[in-house]
Amino acid sequence: MDDPVITASEPQPTAPPAPPEPAPTEHPFEFSGDAREYFRIWIVNLALGIVTLGIYSAWAKVRSERYFYGNTRLAGVPFEYLARPGPILKGRLIAVALFGGYVLAGQFGEMLQLGLAALIAVLTPWLLVRGAAFRARYSSWRGLRFRFVADYREAIKRYLLLWFPLVLTVGLLFPYMKFKQKQFFVEQHRYGGHAFALRATARDFYPPYLAAWGALVAWAFVSSMLTGAIVFSFVSQQGAHGPPPAWVSYAFLVPLYSGYFVVWAFLNAALANLLYNRAELGPYRFRSSLNGGRLCALYLGNTVAILCSAGLLIPWAKVRLARYRAQSLTLLAGEDLADLHAEAGEDIDAVAAEMDGLFDIDIGL
Amino acid sequence: MNERFDGTYFDGRSGRAHAATLRDLEAGRYVLEGDGVAREGAIAELTVTPKLANVERTVEFGDGARLLLPASAPIDVWFPRRHRLEALVDRLERRAPAVAAAVLICVAALAIGAIWGVPRLADHIAATIPSGTEHSLGEHTLAQLDRFGLEPSALEQDRQDELYARFQNLLHGLDRGVADRIEFRDAPGIGANAFALPGGIVVVTDQLVHRLRDDREFDAVVAHELGHQQHRHALRQALRGSLVAVVAAVFAGDVSSAGAVVVAVPTFLLDSHYSRGFEAEADAFAFDLLARHEESPRWFARAMRVLQTDDENEEDFAYLSSHPPTAERIAQAEAAAQRFAAAHPTRCPNGVCAGDVDEAESECADCDGDQGSASPPREGGEEE
Repeated sequence: MDDPVITASEPQPTAPPAPPEPAPTEHPFEFSGDAREYFRIWIVNLALGIVTLGIYSAWAKVRSERYFYGNTRLAGVPFEYLARPGPILKGRLIAVALFGGYVLAGQFGEMLQLGLAALIAVLTPWLLVRGAAFRARYSSWRGLRFRFVADYREAIKRYLLLWFPLVLTVGLLFPYMKFKQKQFFVEQHRYGGHAFALRATARDFYPPYLAAWGALVAWAFVSSMLTGAIVFSFVSQQGAHGPPPAWVSYAFLVPLYSGYFVVWAFLNAALANLLYNRAELGPYRFRSSLNGGRLCALYLGNTVAILCSAGLLIPWAKVRLARYRAQSLTLLAGEDLADLHAEAGEDIDAVAAEMDGLFDIDIGL
Repeated sequence: MNERFDGTYFDGRSGRAHAATLRDLEAGRYVLEGDGVAREGAIAELTVTPKLANVERTVEFGDGARLLLPASAPIDVWFPRRHRLEALVDRLERRAPAVAAAVLICVAALAIGAIWGVPRLADHIAATIPSGTEHSLGEHTLAQLDRFGLEPSALEQDRQDELYARFQNLLHGLDRGVADRIEFRDAPGIGANAFALPGGIVVVTDQLVHRLRDDREFDAVVAHELGHQQHRHALRQALRGSLVAVVAAVFAGDVSSAGAVVVAVPTFLLDSHYSRGFEAEADAFAFDLLARHEESPRWFARAMRVLQTDDENEEDFAYLSSHPPTAERIAQAEAAAQRFAAAHPTRCPNGVCAGDVDEAESECADCDGDQGSASPPREGGEEE
């Protein structure tokens, strides 16, 4: 997909007085992970997690993340995942405790359980922010850490309160809500002395969603017509021998579902491209060229492989996906990478990091 | 010692990369030299990231500066006592026998979890769910079914009352709270069927009532559903399905992101595995309950035979999704009938009980030839 912003910003040949900006240096992302190698790591760590009844899973997560970060290179320098297993274990214990409490609360009555469910819902924005902050703080490249500026008020607005108008407008606000959430997520991130910015508006989020909705509706219509025709032909042919075979009545689910699958992949690609192509980090930008068709084929292959291998090909699927994602992403550096620097407010950051440390949890499983 | 390690140095304040060399001096001190950098200090103040596949090793200086070294750099000789756990794991990851053992452990855990763990855990959770919650789940399910597919019953009130009385009669001797409601519904789309919903609701379709030729066959079908109620099968089945879905989603959800398919297929396959066990349990309960009410389990076999001829449409799927083969269940029922006859020698000379005339069976002689599996009473509590 061509990106309007990228093309628009390229130096115009007829550009008059202002000296044309030098073309940005392109640094493609590279992923060098290997499915066999990762399989060994994955299976050994999974087995250790099983043997230790889940305790080891925090160490397993760190090894897995380090493998993917360390094999993702930009301008020849790998990313680093710096988190230690301790806080991850803590986060998992809290998640298990919450879930256990939720189940136990059932014993003492529905109201308590509902109350706890509501509490978890209200905590969601906080957990999202904490999770993003955790991941950012322990992600590093060129010796510089990422940072996510926690803003709970905004998080509550965008992840909780926006649901009310969304319901009132029967979902029409969904792309708007997604935009507000993605914008928040992107723009709270900091790296190398710059804040990320998302040069997009809610209007940019409507076309992909509307296209996806339209495609789904059209496909549902076509596939039900097709199924109807098939059922009819069966009935008319076999009317004498009784009703059509059972599979016919379930068959309509297959085209419907595969349609959903395809649309989902294309939507995913379009949104990821939108997000990266419009994201800016000071003088640095990105070019993302995910292709819906390839992503769809990738997801399909992964699904079949995982199902046929009882899960043993999950590492292969992960590596494939990571490789394609990296291949499709390029950093457009308008400035030398050596100009990246740690943020100015270092002292304030140190205090914030200490404060963050108190709630150092990672909820993502 | 006297090792030298060449790598890329970042000072933690700028993104500039420096080619640099790390060397050790005497007395546990190091020196780092490179283009535009020079520093030295105590080795004890350094940390190093654990070894992992071909990922670069990073030497971390206290102030956020770091030196990236190739994965093959033997830096561990400087830090002999760090990261013992990770070092052990790293060795395991590199050895084929350890990897093979890990595969065995994981596959065994998967199998044990599916066959034993999920049912046990789900049943534990089911035991903690208060009956109030289960009731509202059942009500909710019935309301959903009423919206999609079920119509109010067209049976006359007298007939309904008659069948209700039989239902009440069957409940005698059962624990209170096993079941308290029977609902009749017209279900043209579903056909002759009966379901046990969570919280003690038994649903019987008009089509089933019309199809059965003897009210004792109705008793047999309802007794089977009461078996589902007695053992809270609907709720337990729903919980098992949810657990399988959660596990599948955790491990494979983000990779195929057809997530739903990766989740749905194992859920579907395991569901049918679990529900077979439940069907057998409900059948056994039904045989016992019928016998306690002085009715022969043979009525169950008869009901099965009659319903076997119900439209094939349902059957292929009913077999796959819930029931053991009908032939096997009929054989079980006949065996139970033999035991019943043996226990009632006066009423059942030669194994045929008074009142159990076999005319009904001969009436349906032609329909027995059908090997189509599957059957009628299907518990339907799973649908959300």
